[in-house]
Amino acid sequence: MEEPRVREEEEDEDEEEDGEDEAGPEGALGKSALQLTAEDVYDISYVVGRELMALGSDPRVTQLQFKIVRVLELLEALVSEGGLEAEALRLERDSLRQEVRALRGEAPPAGGQVDLGPDKMVVDLTDPNRPRFTLQELKEVLQERNALKAQLLLAQEELRCYQSGLIPPREGPGGRQEKEAAVPRPRSADHRKGERTIMKKLPRCPGRLGQGCKAASRRPGVEGTCVGQGHLPPRPPTLGSTMRRMSCTQGQPCSQLGAVKGKTKDKKIWY
Amino acid sequence: MKSSLTPLGPPVSRDRIIDTLPKWYTPDACLQLREHFHGQVSAAYQRRNTGTVGLKLSKVVVVGDLYVGKTSLIHRFCKNVFDRDYKATIGVDFEIERFEIAGIPYSLQIWDTAGQEKFKCIASAYYRGAQVIITAFDLTDVQTLEHTRQWLEDALRENEMGSCFIFLVGTKKDLLSGAACEQAEAEAVHLANEMQAEYWSVSAKTGENVKAFFSRVAALAFEQSVLQDLEKRNSTQPQVGDGDLIRMEGNSSETQESKRPFSLGCC
Repeated sequence: MEEPRVREEEEDEDEEEDGEDEAGPEGALGKSALQLTAEDVYDISYVVGRELMALGSDPRVTQLQFKIVRVLELLEALVSEGGLEAEALRLERDSLRQEVRALRGEAPPAGGQVDLGPDKMVVDLTDPNRPRFTLQELKEVLQERNALKAQLLLAQEELRCYQSGLIPPREGPGGRQEKEAAVPRPRSADHRKGERTIMKKLPRCPGRLGQGCKAASRRPGVEGTCVGQGHLPPRPPTLGSTMRRMSCTQGQPCSQLGAVKGKTKDKKIWY
Repeated sequence: MKSSLTPLGPPVSRDRIIDTLPKWYTPDACLQLREHFHGQVSAAYQRRNTGTVGLKLSKVVVVGDLYVGKTSLIHRFCKNVFDRDYKATIGVDFEIERFEIAGIPYSLQIWDTAGQEKFKCIASAYYRGAQVIITAFDLTDVQTLEHTRQWLEDALRENEMGSCFIFLVGTKKDLLSGAACEQAEAEAVHLANEMQAEYWSVSAKTGENVKAFFSRVAALAFEQSVLQDLEKRNSTQPQVGDGDLIRMEGNSSETQESKRPFSLGCC
């Protein structure tokens, strides 16, 4: 918006100059002081010189001529200097105008100052690293992570058991089926085989742990690898019933202490 | 008989087997001057009298300022690695380390807490039920030592008075030597005595004293667990423990195999 207007002004000035040129050297004398250029001074000099010549060779005229030349020189200097200064000021004015326009655009639409309380924070919604999640969400994620890590540790132990040969990689058909029979499951033998992979066992692991030691002793082939309920520090939220049985309060990590306290209140092994 | 008592599942690695009570770091600040396990511990083991649920695992909580090296210390011990890059712990993390102490399977559940103030409200929820509190500080930064008082106070608030072993651990020992190290240790020993804590200087970077320290922690926690367990059983129901075990061993419907998971499942 601004630049075109500046150009227009310049064009206007050019037009004026053109007009003056058309008016001949005398036109310079009709200009306002602010519009005078060095060129105009030369025109004035030409006009004055011509008229002085017409006055003849009177020595008083010659005297006057020197003074007039001196005045014109001074005028020329002033006009040149003024022109440069005016140009510099014009540039500065333009840049300041642009700055003002930019600042006005950035300013909040209304009200101006936002008064925040002492415990408030301003969040830049365009910042990809801005705070987003709540404390509760972080707690839940952590608990889930811890539960998964506990399961991973169990699975690793189980794997090491198999690797070290403590648990035979394949249970004998008789032994296995007896154990299976202890915990009835509506599955066919084909499905059962698939279940033996660690991946499929994992989700059931906490549940089995929750059954405690007696269950473990009853089902050695399966439970043997579980480190025990005490080793499962955090319970995933899906273990709601187990957690309640273990007297774990929500949001609190279910520690060995909690588990033992809840299970064997009468014994009070831990303080 | 021994086979049913040795740790089952994957065997405990050789350097996690503790037969004698590991020694203190300095007698000027230590929790136990004895050089051997309490007589009752070995006696209990001889009588196969320790097989209860409560015995087998202790909760350890590690607290201290950010960047003192809590995570590095735990990782050096549990994974034998040292990562130069600092990565702040978010909330809490944990490791489980299995031992065989005096022939009995025993585990430490080591909770690594965040040192950053903003995570304190999360981490402090995990202080409860700690048998061991490890307050860590940076040997090269005296301020972190001063802050251990507050860390300990916070951790103790969640636990019963006198129920925890307290350790004060100076980290980054490799960065100090000579007089500077002695000076830092002297200040720490002084504070440790105030806290009724045992003092250790360690370096996760070089591994210096790390294994010895955690072995000491595990052994003391184990010993306390055994003694407390025996005390309870002797005072309340003298025959319960033996009865339990006899019932288990005498459960003839189960084969020898069944005892293995029992030990595992309960350890």
